[in-house]
Amino acid sequence: MKVIGIGGAGGKIAAKMDSQNAILVNVSETELEKVVGGGEHIVAPVQSTAGQFRGSRKDPTIGHDAYNTIRRRMQDIIGGAIVFSSTGGGTGNGITTGILEDIIAHDDALESSNGIPINEKTMFCLVLPDDELESNYVENSIDFMSKPLATAIDKGSTGNIMLFSNKLKFEDQIGEDAYNQMIADSLNVFMSIPDKNTSFKLMELHIDHEDFMAYTAKPYFNHFCYFDYDPGKDFGSQLTANWNKLLLPPEEPIEAMFLLEVPAGQDHTIFYKILPFFEKKKVNPIYSVVENPSLQRPFITVSLLYSRKPLELIDEFNKVNQEVKDVKVSKSLDQHVVLEKLNVDMNKEAKRASKEKGLDADELLQALKRIKKL
Amino acid sequence: MARAVELTDDLLQDQLNRLGEGHFLILSWCTLCEDKTVKYNITNCFDDLKSAGITRTKQTAVSFVETLWALCFVDIRDERNRKNIYITPHGAKALAHLVKSNRYKLKSSSYLEDLKS
Repeated sequence: MKVIGIGGAGGKIAAKMDSQNAILVNVSETELEKVVGGGEHIVAPVQSTAGQFRGSRKDPTIGHDAYNTIRRRMQDIIGGAIVFSSTGGGTGNGITTGILEDIIAHDDALESSNGIPINEKTMFCLVLPDDELESNYVENSIDFMSKPLATAIDKGSTGNIMLFSNKLKFEDQIGEDAYNQMIADSLNVFMSIPDKNTSFKLMELHIDHEDFMAYTAKPYFNHFCYFDYDPGKDFGSQLTANWNKLLLPPEEPIEAMFLLEVPAGQDHTIFYKILPFFEKKKVNPIYSVVENPSLQRPFITVSLLYSRKPLELIDEFNKVNQEVKDVKVSKSLDQHVVLEKLNVDMNKEAKRASKEKGLDADELLQALKRIKKL
Repeated sequence: MARAVELTDDLLQDQLNRLGEGHFLILSWCTLCEDKTVKYNITNCFDDLKSAGITRTKQTAVSFVETLWALCFVDIRDERNRKNIYITPHGAKALAHLVKSNRYKLKSSSYLEDLKS
């Protein structure tokens, strides 16, 4: 699968996902050179003499304008790829907006033949800012989610969209590089489901590459998580306790997938204890059970597809954004100082000063002498 | 520095003791006006006292001037329908003593300041 990283944050995660072949896109060659790893570099020239060195400066219109210069190249490579991008900055937001617009237009053009084929669907991994600690990025994210992303979800033109959040990074004070590695490692656990079905001994059913591709081609938000499964405990509460903290928590699932890996020689029928959870949710999951000899305990990877409209997310971001704005307004009002314009009449001031100063006693005595009274 | 003024007359000493700030200021203002050859009348005197915050009534201003006249410290001359005030040599002696005693602070005459500007 082609891995494409857009902008600073997207590029760095993409390079972690595929250190040899990830295609990195940015408006600045300087920014691209900062990324360790990755393959081809695509520079989207900005129509400014300083643009190639300055990035998008958090302005999505710069990224979007720059996309026009690489549009044809991106249209060639975007089909079937997995795109990493952040929503808060200028480059990731702007270029990804352009990509989404083109995907929607392409899907519309292919409407008569059932739209974009499954193997050409594009997956998106979007990094959302921490709403409290990165409030300066929230506004761009609101625009992105309320317009291009909302339209893409409504049209169903994309594949899975994974909404990563920077919240954990700030909560646990994790360095950027380590956090990007965590995102890549986590995603690799999910992406390895079909390979594990190929390489390990199949115990129950089968998720092959085609099944997996069909699943990831669905235009829903994807929340995946993984944990050591204890068949003695309720699956639902284990699942809730192990939500993937790198992703936004999921809504009610519409579709689901899980891969259960059991240690060699252990009873693999424990998967039957999982099925009632999905039955209650009225979801028929795609699943398989394999034997993984390197494990000591059963390990499960679960993916839930949900269609929570980004508009609901926007409400939360808007709320935080409004709070930050209110505080800013209140601070600026508190710090507002009225500078009074003083209309100084120099004659009056001179009179006042001389009045305050009073007269000199010697001067008066001299006057008395001059008028010959003393 | 002006030469020292010695008071030998007990009456003059007692008279000086009874003079207030208003009297002192009138003596100083009429001296300065005369020095500048500017006529200084009762109306100018009232305006200056008002500006200096000493009194708000013309009667008080008139009574200050009349007191100074009664003590022979000022002369009041009817000139062109105006009662102009002039300090006398006794008044000069009294003023010099008051100035040196630092009992009151000298204040400028608004009337004279206005004329200057």
